[in-house]
Amino acid sequence: MNRNEILDKVTQIFHDVFDDDSIVLTDETTAKDIDDWDSLTHITLISEIEEAFNMKFSMKDVLGMKNVGEMLDILEQHQ
Amino acid sequence: MNHYTYDEIEVGHEESFSTVITEEMMSSFRNITGDENPLHNTKHYAESKGYPTNVCFGMLTASFLSTMAGVYLPGERSLIHRVETDFVSPVLLGDTLNITAKVQKKMDTFRAIVLHVSFKNQNGLEVCRAKMRVGVLD
Repeated sequence: MNRNEILDKVTQIFHDVFDDDSIVLTDETTAKDIDDWDSLTHITLISEIEEAFNMKFSMKDVLGMKNVGEMLDILEQHQ
Repeated sequence: MNHYTYDEIEVGHEESFSTVITEEMMSSFRNITGDENPLHNTKHYAESKGYPTNVCFGMLTASFLSTMAGVYLPGERSLIHRVETDFVSPVLLGDTLNITAKVQKKMDTFRAIVLHVSFKNQNGLEVCRAKMRVGVLD
């Protein structure tokens, strides 16, 4: 799966979790850009992404991710 | 009450309990919430809609998710994060609910567990199911 395909899959997860199909993700997207992206929703996002990609983020991954681009970097590395 | 720590819980761990939906429960729920819908409160009305007796409030059924997390799994250290619930069949006044939760997933980073919870009535019919994420406090 290339980075664009990963982005499409992650975007779908964001649409489902936030129930908002208008969300457009870029590498620079952060929690400040999306309404309702709070600490509890973040756990839901991480959980849904882990299930969709059949992987587990490490504590370092979760604490270190600053934006969607860094999330995609981690998912690319798990390919 | 159980006192499981996060490390003591494994994927596949199950806990169960049973309860009976009584008039007193229905009355208390109505008083707390102000839900006076006649489907729950008037037998005659429920019968007119094709039910044998009063239909239990869906949220009263779901309230036993609180009991599952807070008393059984994990018990004392519970902090509910999220609940998704499907009410798949009506629960009636007088029904016995057998409620079973199974740990589907552990989220080490967040010290949370994901539970699949199934509610079955006295006839073995699934009436409600839920997915619940519960934090396990230190």
